[in-house]
Amino acid sequence: MDLHEISVQLQAGKAKMVKTLVQQAIDEGFPAQEILEQGLLDGMNVIGEKFKNNEVFVPEVLIAARAMNQGVAVLKPLLVEAGVQSTGKVCIGTVQGDLHDIGKNLVKLMLEGKGMEVIDLGTDVAPETFVQTAIDQNCQIICCSALLTTTMGVMSDVVKAAEAAGIRDKVKIMIGGAPVNQAFCDQIGADVYTADAASAAEAAVALCS
Amino acid sequence: MYQLEIFQNGYATTIMFDGPERLSTLLQRAGVYTAQPCGGQGSCGKCAVTISGAISAPNAAECRAGARLACQVVVEGNATVVLPDSRPDEQIETGMAAHIEARRPMPGRYGAAVDIGTTTLVAKLFSLENGTCLGTAAARNPQTAVAADVMGRISAAMAGGLVRLQKMVAEEIERLLVACCAQAEILDVPESLVLTGNTTMLYLLTGRDPTCLSRAPFQADRLFHEETILLGRRAYLPPCMCAFVGADITCAVYATGMCEKWETALLCDIGTNGEMALWKDGTLYVTSTAAGPAFEGAGISCGCASVRGAIDRVWLEGGKVCVHTIGEAEGVGVCGSGLLDAVAVALQSGKIDETGYMEGDSLPLCEAVALLPRDIRAVQLAKAAIAAGMAVLLETAGVGPDEVQVLYVAGGFGSHLNMESAVTIGLLPSGLAGRAQSVGNAALAGASMALLDRDAQQAMARIASAAVPVHLGGNPQFNEAYVEQMLFCPED
Repeated sequence: MDLHEISVQLQAGKAKMVKTLVQQAIDEGFPAQEILEQGLLDGMNVIGEKFKNNEVFVPEVLIAARAMNQGVAVLKPLLVEAGVQSTGKVCIGTVQGDLHDIGKNLVKLMLEGKGMEVIDLGTDVAPETFVQTAIDQNCQIICCSALLTTTMGVMSDVVKAAEAAGIRDKVKIMIGGAPVNQAFCDQIGADVYTADAASAAEAAVALCS
Repeated sequence: MYQLEIFQNGYATTIMFDGPERLSTLLQRAGVYTAQPCGGQGSCGKCAVTISGAISAPNAAECRAGARLACQVVVEGNATVVLPDSRPDEQIETGMAAHIEARRPMPGRYGAAVDIGTTTLVAKLFSLENGTCLGTAAARNPQTAVAADVMGRISAAMAGGLVRLQKMVAEEIERLLVACCAQAEILDVPESLVLTGNTTMLYLLTGRDPTCLSRAPFQADRLFHEETILLGRRAYLPPCMCAFVGADITCAVYATGMCEKWETALLCDIGTNGEMALWKDGTLYVTSTAAGPAFEGAGISCGCASVRGAIDRVWLEGGKVCVHTIGEAEGVGVCGSGLLDAVAVALQSGKIDETGYMEGDSLPLCEAVALLPRDIRAVQLAKAAIAAGMAVLLETAGVGPDEVQVLYVAGGFGSHLNMESAVTIGLLPSGLAGRAQSVGNAALAGASMALLDRDAQQAMARIASAAVPVHLGGNPQFNEAYVEQMLFCPED
């Protein structure tokens, strides 16, 4: 079989088909890493790129991500067995006061797709929790998400908390979410702003290399 | 000093100003309403105007829209603007019984019930002596000009706009009351009011700082159920259930009488927010989900309100797409109910697949109106939010969709939607369509009852205080259902 078919079906959001094809690829002896990269990730990257260019919209991304999740679930035991080397360590969460995590989960999915180890702190995460996790777990990056104009200000507190804890030179802070932009990133002194999940994953890999 | 001449509906107004100002700001100051569903972001193109004089060059947003937008143009000196005529025949859902028994009315000869919707305000004037409805008036909520959604208005209030937001809604209500009295040909003013609305609307109406509604844990520090003085009159504010399920839903639940029966009932108010209440074995579970304005025709390329010429019905006849427009006029756009039908028809005819993918660039409905792929996506987001919210609410209460014995559909969009289409796109579970009852503006009906029977106010307090809020934000169950429901025909 052609692993590209997995990518095509994933882009079309056909979760059932993706699962079947991933299993078929495993049965035909393709290495798990290859199925992940040339099949699932390739498809998700295409969607991510199209989203960046406004060619597709949020529902397509979520439906494709759902298909990817189901494909990864089939693949996971084999990936663990293969013991893939992590490319970096990140903690991620939606900031305090905010419960929206669909965007955050997409970024997490894309980060994991790039081979990063991701600690998911969930939603409503206090600045101190981000910082303490980064210290305890030796994370290279803290990723903060917010959907509300009323909560984005908390991101500035995360930057301050990292400074206060004396880890600002060791950890990079990435921010994202609908109300956030580059100007806000500069204003609060965070390191990187990205507009979408695919760019976030690319930026994170670049920061860790 | 410069002057801006404003032409609309055959009348001219002039406003003076000092230096460069945004056109929308000047119009607002002149008391002229322009629709801004996108909250002045320059993205929806609904505030297009014809303007000449000393004005700014078109910016990127205006070039995209191919029009001068009131929310973008900066007026730099003397100028003349022509606004599209406001539509007197805009349909706003006001329907309900014309007479309610005045059992234990609030004091005075006349009273009014007002529903303060996020988008729409509706007022009804009653005789407090015999319960007869004497007049009805409706208008857009002028706060829409500040922000289309509740969260945007909370942000604006926190940024120092609270007094202005309060003033905007109070003045518009006053105008509605005057219009009602004119209809009834009475000179007296209503002495008692019942003002209902969602929790944020009541905070803004009473000038209360809404900071607690702006972030998790979303704990309202006031739920009302109180009599106070507003607009210089005695006013009762019915109880809210929590930060995200307001007094309007308490009123609607009361109006249906669902909590007095021993059947499992679901009340659904579908608008910008989808609020739902489920009555099961003596417990009322309530929730709210952010659907976005798609069902109100906003954020849709060819979307419009329920105005003359709006496509409100779409169906297939021998494989051909047929449409009906309000007032049988030439099609100018598509409103919520027509949009739902159009998507259902597209699914049935295979023009879009279950993931929402559209073959081709557009889906023509009539000569001037076509749906674009991004419109389908907007419907998908709205539909997913409602369907997922309903799924989690039912699951929390341990109720299967088939166990719901009656579905009350409230709100303007709800009263006009075609149940079959709602089922086809997966907005409602298939079993429920046959058990649906449209209840119109149930919030206003409940508020009117509270005006004419103070015992109703006590009953509302009991309903609200016993309600069990089901939180969807950050709820993994909801997130999973949300993505699952993004598909038009979810897989098993």
